Formats: sequence, structure tokens, C-alpha cells
Amino acid sequence: MEIDPLTDTIMNIEVFAFIGLMVWLYFRTENEEGDGVDD
Amino acid sequence: MFRNPLLLVALALTGAVALWGIIDNQGLADFAALLVGVQFISRAWFIMLVVSLILVVGMGLALSPYGSIKLGRDDDKPEFGTVSWLTMLFAAGMGVGLLFWGTAEPVTHYAAIKAFSPDRDAASVALFLTNFHWGFHAWAIYGVTGLVIAYFGFRLGCPSLVSAPIVKVFGSNRITVAVGWLADLMAIVAIAIGLGGSVAMGVFQVKDGVDALFGLTDTGMGLTLGILAILVLSYILPLTVDLGRGMAVLSNAAMAVAGFLMVFLLLFGPTHFIMGGIVQSFGEYLGGFFVQGFRTLTFLDDSVGNWFQSWTLTYMVWWLAWAPFVGVFIARISRGRTIREYIAGVMLVPTAFSIVWFGVFGGIGFYAELHTDVPILEVVQNNVSQTTFFVLKQFPLQSLTIAGVVIAAFLFLVTSVVSAAFVLGMFSTGGDLNPSVRVKLSWAAVLGALGLVMILSGSIDAVKQIIALGALPFVFIVVLLIVCLLKALKKETV
Repeated sequence: MEIDPLTDTIMNIEVFAFIGLMVWLYFRTENEEGDGVDD
Repeated sequence: MFRNPLLLVALALTGAVALWGIIDNQGLADFAALLVGVQFISRAWFIMLVVSLILVVGMGLALSPYGSIKLGRDDDKPEFGTVSWLTMLFAAGMGVGLLFWGTAEPVTHYAAIKAFSPDRDAASVALFLTNFHWGFHAWAIYGVTGLVIAYFGFRLGCPSLVSAPIVKVFGSNRITVAVGWLADLMAIVAIAIGLGGSVAMGVFQVKDGVDALFGLTDTGMGLTLGILAILVLSYILPLTVDLGRGMAVLSNAAMAVAGFLMVFLLLFGPTHFIMGGIVQSFGEYLGGFFVQGFRTLTFLDDSVGNWFQSWTLTYMVWWLAWAPFVGVFIARISRGRTIREYIAGVMLVPTAFSIVWFGVFGGIGFYAELHTDVPILEVVQNNVSQTTFFVLKQFPLQSLTIAGVVIAAFLFLVTSVVSAAFVLGMFSTGGDLNPSVRVKLSWAAVLGALGLVMILSGSIDAVKQIIALGALPFVFIVVLLIVCLLKALKKETV
């Protein structure tokens, strides 16, 4: 099965964006987010 | 029931997939193949990276100071003894798949490796690959998903929902509630479609067992649909009355039959050959599992790429499909254990059992291929669901052992569907620990219909792709859940 290069690029950009979002969420400080976890 | 939008959307979505499959089975199978094929080519690296990350997180947490944190209050004690806890863990996660693939999977890989590279020690590579598919990575996916649910549920007092960690960690606002709602929906879809696939595989297996037991031929779709109807009737009763621990007894009985069968074949089969294979495959697995988790086979030709998609990637998303269901179950039985104890139990013991299991069943298949004239390769290639029964026919007491497999497969199916209907009911009603009978029966009907769709497809490959279609979004959700867990753990004092 072949994949269209544009589709491939778009699908991987989505993954890169997701990874970026996860890294940002992990390192985001609690003051910015109003963290819901109890102390 | 009708005031709950999540329940209605989830029932409508899974029901629509079932209806589509009944009306235009080939259309659904083609659609699944196209979508899954594109995802597997484009995002194979990401899927392998995520499953390896899950393994690293699981092992890292167990070995870190966080390993001493209890899943529950600090004074909670484990509800079950260690042996029955381990038995229940294993029965929940693997069940009917082991009976189905015991000989068939190693022998299928053996044939593929022989065709691709005739000079290699195909049998040991085949066993290694099988162990990789059923080993630490699979159990890390279950274990870490269950850990998130158990930690947030028992330690932080959240409902047992996939959305709960997201809302708890990032606070309740429109975005987190919407993402959480979507995560619950995706988990429900993944569980329902994954279970539908297991129902189909189990029914295929029971049907071939009945054929083998009574010497029937050409029973076709009639007997298969008859067995599905009996299965549906069998799980309605346990859903309408509370059987308490009755389901655990049935599940343990199925595990006992499977364990007896394994010991029987080990003793009555070529014992030295099987034991040699088991010891070797333990070493090879422990030496290579971590690196294998990062292998994407990118630089090999298309035939290897196709094999990689239809086996390794499919298995990994298959475990992801089952993760919310098995995760909830193993979370519920693990209250009061520390994270270290939990990860060690969930990952080490079932993996060791799988290596022995495939060593016995695969070893018998390899012995037949290498040292006898028994046409095991032909059986695996022509009708994979007959493999286990074909193997049993080469041994004494075949009527008894075949009947045992049929009964164990049937019990695994009933207990899986009953537990899944409960978990689906719970997820779709905001974490209600006692979903109403009407909700559970609605889910049981959807699971039966999805099972019917997969059976009508008539092909294990189509079943695998439809499951993968339902499970792929969960690759992203698991990563989000891990971020939630790690953020919440940072607040713990250890």
C-alpha cells in the first residue's frame, strides 16, 4: 500500500503537534493552569 | 438512560458501526483496511515509540521512590491474596487469545521467516516475536492504564473514568470537560469494537472445536451463528442478576483448564524439546525485548513491512483497545497494593506465563514441522482457528482435551462479555459503579451485534483491522493519561 506524500506530511505534523502539546502540558507550571490536583 | 448524551452517542456510534457491518460487510472491512493501512504506514514509528514509552514509564515508576506509593489510602490492605490476584490479572488480559494463537502464531511467523530468510534459526526468531507481542509491552499497556485509573480512583477519590485524571489534573473547564468527554467516548468505542473482535475469534474457535469433537465437516456459517446465539443467551442471565464472585469463579475455572492443558501437552509431548525451547526463548526475550520495542523494520522490503503491520502494530493497538477495559478491572482488584508491587505483578508474572505457554504450544508445532510428517504448516495457513484442535488430535485423550478447550473458550467469552458490558455501562454513565440492567443489556446487545459483524466478515485479518480502527485514537489518549499521572505524582511526598 502506498501513501500520498501530502497525507503523510499532514498526519505526521499532527503527531509532532500532539507531542509538543504533551511536553508543554507536562512542564506547564501550576500557577498558569490552576492545577486541580489536591496538595 | 435517555438523558445521558455520552451513553446515547456511544450507543449510536457503535450501533452504527455494527449496522454498517451487517448491511455492507465488505464495505466496512475495506474502509477499515484503508484507514488503518494509512495510519500504520504514516504513524508506525509513533505507535512503537508510545508503547516503548509506556514500558519505560511503568518500569521507571516501579524502580523509583514513587514505587512505594499505595494505590489507595496509606492504611489500605490488598483485598485479594497474591495468588488469586495474579490469576485474575492474567485471565482478564489474555483469555481466549492464548487458546487461539498458542501454536498458530509461532508457526505462522516460522513460515514467514523461512520464506524471507531460509538460513535463519526461524523457530527461535518466531518464538521471540510471539513473546514480544504477548510480553512486557502488552502488559505495560494494561498496567499503566490500570495504574492511572487506580491511582486517581483510590488515592485521589476520582470516579473510575478515563476522563477523570484529565479533569482532576488540569481543572474543570470547557476544554478539559470536552477532551475528557471525547476520551470517554473513544475508550468506549475501543472496548466495544475490541470485544466484538474477541467474540468473533472465540466463536470461530468454539465452532472448530465442535467440528473436531464430533468429526463434522462443512458446517459453515450455520453452526457459527448458532454458537453466537447460544453465547448471547448465556451472557444475558449474568447481566440481569448480580452473581457477585460467580464470574471470578468461572474465569478461574477457564484458567485452570488452560493450565491443565499446558501441563498435559508438556508432559505428553516431546518434553526435552519443549523445555529446551522455553529456556532458550526466555534468554532471547530478556536479551532483546527492549530493542525490539523500537524496531520499525523501516529498511526492509514491503513484504516484511506488511508482516509488521498485520502482526506487531496490530497487536500493539489491540492491547490499547483492551487497555481501558482490562485497566479498570485490574485497578479494581489491586486496591491497597503499592505501585512497585502492582507493576511487578502485572508485568512479570503474566509475561513469564506467556513465554512458557507459547514455548509449549509453539514447541509442539515446531517439533511437528521439524521432526515429523504432520502437516502443521498447511493447517495454520489454510484454517488458523483449527490449529489448536489439530495439535490436540496428535495426543491421547483428544476428546477430553478438545472438549476442555471448547469449554474454556466459551467461559472466557462469557466472562469477557459480562465484564465488558459492566465496564461500558460504568464508563457511559459517569462512573456509576452499579449501572442499571437496561444499560448493561444495551451494551451486551451492541457487543453481540459487533461480534456478528466480525463473524460475517469471515476473515481474521478483517477482524484485526476493524479492531485497530476502533483502537487507534486511544494511542493519543494513553499518552495524555500518562502526562496526567506524572504531573499528579510530582505532588506526592516520597
